[in-house]
Amino acid sequence: MTTVAIVARSMWSRAEGKFSILVLGLWVLVSLVSLVWTPQSLWATDGYQVWKAPSAQHWLGTDGTGADVLSWLMAGSHTNLLISLLAVLLAALLGLLLLTAMLASNQLLAAGTVVVVDALISLPTVLLALMLAVPLGPSIAVIVISCGIGYGLNLARIVRPQALLAAGSDYALSAKANGAGGWRIMLDHILPNVMPTMAVQLSLSAGTALLAESGLTYLGIGVPSGVPSWGHSLATSVKFIDVFPLTVLWPGLLVTMVVVALNVCGDLLRQAMDPVSNPELRKLAA
Amino acid sequence: MRFLFRRFLILVMTLLGLSLLIFVAVRILPGDLASVMAGLNAPPERVEALRSQLGLDRPLPDQYLTWMADLARGDFGRSLLTGRSVSVQVGDRAAVTFPLIGLGLLIAMVIGLPMGCLSLLASKPWVRSLVHVLAIVGGSMPALWGGLLLILLFSRGSGLLGIFPSQGFAQGGWSTPGKALWSLVLPALTLGLIIGASLMRYTRAALADMLGSGYMDMARACGMTRTHALLRVGLRLALPQLVSVLGLTFAEMITGAMVVENLFALPGLGSGLVSDLGNRDLIAVQSELFMLAAFFLLVGFLVDMIHRLADPRLKAAGEGGSGTSTRQVTA
Repeated sequence: MTTVAIVARSMWSRAEGKFSILVLGLWVLVSLVSLVWTPQSLWATDGYQVWKAPSAQHWLGTDGTGADVLSWLMAGSHTNLLISLLAVLLAALLGLLLLTAMLASNQLLAAGTVVVVDALISLPTVLLALMLAVPLGPSIAVIVISCGIGYGLNLARIVRPQALLAAGSDYALSAKANGAGGWRIMLDHILPNVMPTMAVQLSLSAGTALLAESGLTYLGIGVPSGVPSWGHSLATSVKFIDVFPLTVLWPGLLVTMVVVALNVCGDLLRQAMDPVSNPELRKLAA
Repeated sequence: MRFLFRRFLILVMTLLGLSLLIFVAVRILPGDLASVMAGLNAPPERVEALRSQLGLDRPLPDQYLTWMADLARGDFGRSLLTGRSVSVQVGDRAAVTFPLIGLGLLIAMVIGLPMGCLSLLASKPWVRSLVHVLAIVGGSMPALWGGLLLILLFSRGSGLLGIFPSQGFAQGGWSTPGKALWSLVLPALTLGLIIGASLMRYTRAALADMLGSGYMDMARACGMTRTHALLRVGLRLALPQLVSVLGLTFAEMITGAMVVENLFALPGLGSGLVSDLGNRDLIAVQSELFMLAAFFLLVGFLVDMIHRLADPRLKAAGEGGSGTSTRQVTA
């Protein structure tokens, strides 16, 4: 059995793991379905059908333009999935790049990267987003780039101690003695060591990216109007909270549930990928 | 001392780099800055007048140096919309945002620290799980949504229990401290609950790390009970780590604060910056972005210093830089 299968099975064996895997699976499924089908057309608005209570035709009711709330939430799930994936991908790339620089044999480059990361890390993501929003305007790119940079810096800082430990280990030394270059050692010995921590951190970051999406979209520098997203659904219902409190409930509940699933997923990955707490992994290695 | 000097030098250099980035970000707009600021239908003479008034007709390096020189003299420029100087405007807004964040942080600590201890030390397993679940759910809520739920529960007008105001800051500002504080309760509670939830998880994790350490064995050997040892020895040892978390949390709270300020219609730093951006008041935006960036870098610097003071082990190790980073974004 491969490592991935063992990790997945160990997560599935826990109740919260089942919850996490089901919610995330459903998220991906709904995103794919929404690309080709939603219960009602997004643009089927009806001035006589605004703020309707849930009915057989509109399962979650309608919004202020008479559009179907459920359809917008479904369509929003693929925008959010895209944002999460891209942000995490960017964070992983940047994190690895910084990590490589931190481990470089050039002392100046290594030490320089460490201090610059330390200084930049205190800059909040939203400030980056605001800087980007000045030239770019409200766009998905603002969310993806600001989150990617913020989480990438964070990632590099978190995995650095482990990477240093691996770089100074006997097996890295032995590989070096056998003539392996810096890149070879990075790929064969350091990456596998930092992989579990990275996976955990990226899973948490995917959740944080969703929270950033709803915040930035509400501030008017995230997802542009007209593009469906959960943050967009949440932001448009805010103004009418006095009159139609129920419509506010769904998008927030959705975001919270998915973020909980991603956080739980991160926590369980930590245990499932650790050979100390997962005996099956030890068997595989032996 | 050498560490302090080096860290300070990096701070200044990062700040210079950021100022350059902000300067460029404001100027790579499609179209020219003066016409964007003057608006769509402005006559050419007005655009021209604005351009020379703001010095935008001069070469870019010249503009940058002028801006930097003004900043160094404490002149942050004037808002085009209100005509007030940016530093006065920022000062007024800070008088709302900082009390908001301070109050939020206080609530977060009052909730987070004891509950974090409880989620590790409670003798009944269901109490531990319940507290842990609360922490995870609380930290996973969008700030916007958390605020909305609080409005639905407690606000005057639309809430189930009409206790607190949910829109705007007190009319008289801080000249009526009671009213001002009262209007900050719901926003601060929104921030405090969300930050408190993540603080709870950090406290739990930091204490759990301590459980297996030799310090704890020593304390137990001296006759302390497990709980006693954790609270007396473990918490003290975990303190530097928690100070780091709080410092970075403070910086990240501005994100939550921006959303919360907008939701509760408070005239704070975050909502002000966002509305300036919406109004294309770019000279103000440029200076405000720089001030905020400088502020956060300074907080990061101070946290590093406090961390070193609170943890003699770091000083002994003589290694400047990365501890375990613990940053949580709350948007």
